[in-house]
Amino acid sequence: MLEQAVIYTFVALVLIGGGLAAFSRQILYAIIGLGISLLGLAGLFLNLGSPFVAAMQVLIYIGGITVAIVFAMMLSIAMSIRPPNPDARKLGFAIACAVIFFGAVAHLIRGAQFQQIASPASEKAWSVGALGHALLTHYNVVFEALSLVLLLAIIGAILIARKA
Amino acid sequence: MTLEAYLLVGAALFSLGLIGALSHRNLIALLIGIELMMNAASLNLMAFNRFVVTDPTTGQIFVLIIIGLAAAEVAIFLSIILRIYRAYHDIDAEKLTKLSG
Amino acid sequence: MDTLSLILLTTISPLACFIIAIIFLVQQPRAAQGLVLFGSAISLLSAIGLLVQGPVEPLRFLWFQSGAIQLQFGFILDGASLMFGVVVAFITACIMLYSVGYMAHDPGKTRYFALLSFFAWSMLSFVYAVDLLQSFIFWELVGLSSFFLIGFWFEKPEAAGAARKAFLMTRVGDVGLFIGILLILQLVSNFDIPSLLDPQTGLSTQVSPGILNAITLLIFIGIMGKSAQFPLHTWLPDAMEGPTPVSALLHSATMVAAGVFLMIRLHPLFMAAQDTALIVLSIATFTAILASTIAMVDTDIKKVLAYSSISQLGFMLMALAAGSLFAGVFHLITHAVFKALLFLCSGIYIHAYHTNSMAEIGRSGGRRLKATTLGLIIGGAALSGVPPLAGFWSKEEIFAQLGHNGFNIYMAGAFLAAFLTAYYTFRMIFLITKPDQAPASDHSHPEPLNMKAPVLILTLGAIVLGFFGSNIAQGLGLIPQHHSVILMISAVGVVILGILIAYFDYGRDNAPRTGFISKIAPLDTLFTNKWYIDDIYRVTIVAITHALSRILHWIENHVLDGNYDRFGLGILRTGAKSTRVQGGWMQLYLGWAIILLAVVALYLGLQ
Repeated sequence: MLEQAVIYTFVALVLIGGGLAAFSRQILYAIIGLGISLLGLAGLFLNLGSPFVAAMQVLIYIGGITVAIVFAMMLSIAMSIRPPNPDARKLGFAIACAVIFFGAVAHLIRGAQFQQIASPASEKAWSVGALGHALLTHYNVVFEALSLVLLLAIIGAILIARKA
Repeated sequence: MTLEAYLLVGAALFSLGLIGALSHRNLIALLIGIELMMNAASLNLMAFNRFVVTDPTTGQIFVLIIIGLAAAEVAIFLSIILRIYRAYHDIDAEKLTKLSG
Repeated sequence: MDTLSLILLTTISPLACFIIAIIFLVQQPRAAQGLVLFGSAISLLSAIGLLVQGPVEPLRFLWFQSGAIQLQFGFILDGASLMFGVVVAFITACIMLYSVGYMAHDPGKTRYFALLSFFAWSMLSFVYAVDLLQSFIFWELVGLSSFFLIGFWFEKPEAAGAARKAFLMTRVGDVGLFIGILLILQLVSNFDIPSLLDPQTGLSTQVSPGILNAITLLIFIGIMGKSAQFPLHTWLPDAMEGPTPVSALLHSATMVAAGVFLMIRLHPLFMAAQDTALIVLSIATFTAILASTIAMVDTDIKKVLAYSSISQLGFMLMALAAGSLFAGVFHLITHAVFKALLFLCSGIYIHAYHTNSMAEIGRSGGRRLKATTLGLIIGGAALSGVPPLAGFWSKEEIFAQLGHNGFNIYMAGAFLAAFLTAYYTFRMIFLITKPDQAPASDHSHPEPLNMKAPVLILTLGAIVLGFFGSNIAQGLGLIPQHHSVILMISAVGVVILGILIAYFDYGRDNAPRTGFISKIAPLDTLFTNKWYIDDIYRVTIVAITHALSRILHWIENHVLDGNYDRFGLGILRTGAKSTRVQGGWMQLYLGWAIILLAVVALYLGLQ
């Protein structure tokens, strides 16, 4: 019962944060909404049995990316202080798109038949050790490629943002 | 919660992100919307990992990779925003129409 | 050297020179000129080398295969192609050498020499082609390069028009030729010339006589266009708008010779098709007379020579249609030499006195150019058939063949044409060498050596070539006809009669200087107006085409165009509206992409 309540709290966090992020006109509120949403998501990850990924979510997303966005907001202050007037047509278009999309996906989810496994795999398979092992053996190439992408992204970001 | 419930939450989060990405004029708000959509995808992957896949490392590694790519993406996106701000003194998505001819 | 490398040298070196000159040497006309001359010399030497080696089996390379049809690329090396290849290479080389002087101050010199080289390549490849389709390709390339060269001075509207006319008129014939070739393909799925001609298994044994007649007739339409036979001959006199060396090349060894050479190549087929042979014979005889009569009254030296070419081509086709391969080849070769000579002489006159009129050249002192006048007289005498020059022997063969096979009417026509030939040739010679008034003060250019040398070489050729008849017959693997003395005497008599009348009309002191034909006014008018053939074309074909195009224009304007306009404007408006979608508003793009995705999702969900 308590467990259920916790899960639903997380779901509520995700959706409320997402709503705040999506509809807020003040950019700072949107960032806070993003943070709340990501925190709820981390809780859901925990609930789905993966403490490591949840930790990473908190560390990288909330601790890194959100803070970086705040910096960007402060560096490009003009629009963030005085948000432009909302455009009703644009908002309508966005909501229509979102509703159509959500309807279609919900329809798809309802119609789909997943072959579910009876019970979650053993605790051992979920451990950080198993994850690290898989990452450095089976998924080694992906891991290396990702590190290369990150390196290139850093170099590229510096190059782009550099004063010309 | 069942798999379908998780997937529906993911879809809802994606839709919210979509609204954020489509309705705002501020490039940073756009970025926030895109982040939300990415996280919705992560949530889906984690849910599938828990309920469908026999080897549970797969989905987690997927999500870790998504997080890594998101970091790279944000770095690039933010530097582009800085560059645009320097060029236009604005980050209004609707004013970036030099290519529309 | 082996045969393959020799034949490749013969055909490829002009092409290589063309490519190098036209791409790299536009700014260095002297280098281009030297290169092209060098390539021509290589080509000539290799062709002679091939001739010395003698006939060999054809070389064939598979080009591609489609079902049972094999298309080959290769070289046929029998007597006819070996000898004529040398003639082509030789005359091309002479004319290139001559052009060095003639075109010395032309700004487009590189283009000129490169095109000459291209012309030589097309013609040589045509002569050696082993496959009918290969022949056709080079046949068209010969037509294309003549188009370029006739229209060389394209800034002159007459030259551009003449080039267009030549191209279109020969194209009319080529359509017939192409249909003929396709018929052959459909009937026997074979393009290989030697096997088509095989007397045991060739085309003539595989199809009915009616079909064979149809095929050969279609091919003859192509020959008619190329070799300027009635009624497709009117392009040739107009082609005089090109530079004179080009005319020389066109009229002796290349363009017009291609038609005759095709008939030589396919001679057994024409012999098997009796009706076609008779039609060819009639048309050729008629053309020979028609062109001679026009040449009698024209005053432009190049036009006279052009009409004489048409008439001589008629002689060659007559010989071939009457059944004598040897007479056709022989006359083709001798004619190539003396007609090139005559054109080169006329070029020197035109170069020196800047006029095309024979009387003007005479008045300006044409006979002071000693070497040229010698060439003119020798070439003219050879053309008329004065013994013992080249033309005499080859024409003799033609008469002998006509007499041997009992074509008496045609022989009479041939005698008439020979008489007229002698008459107009000596009219030309007398007009130039015996002017009606003493030449004015001499201000002509001297003849440059590089223009004189080819003239002298060709003069020598026109004198001696006639004695090589038996060698040519041997090369073809034939034995020449036995000559009947009566025929020989009467041929010489006809020629002498022509010369005498020309002398009486133009040559003697205080001659009337008008042709005897002017006493018969209707004929004179007819000949002067070139039998009204161009005018007939104007009032029939051109007028019909114009009327038809006016009707079509009306339909286009009132029926089609309006609707097309509406259609087009509709599209334009739709386009103008739809550009708003591409307004650079990326969020709109994203939204539509997502909606599309949703539609796909719905579709998947519905299944």
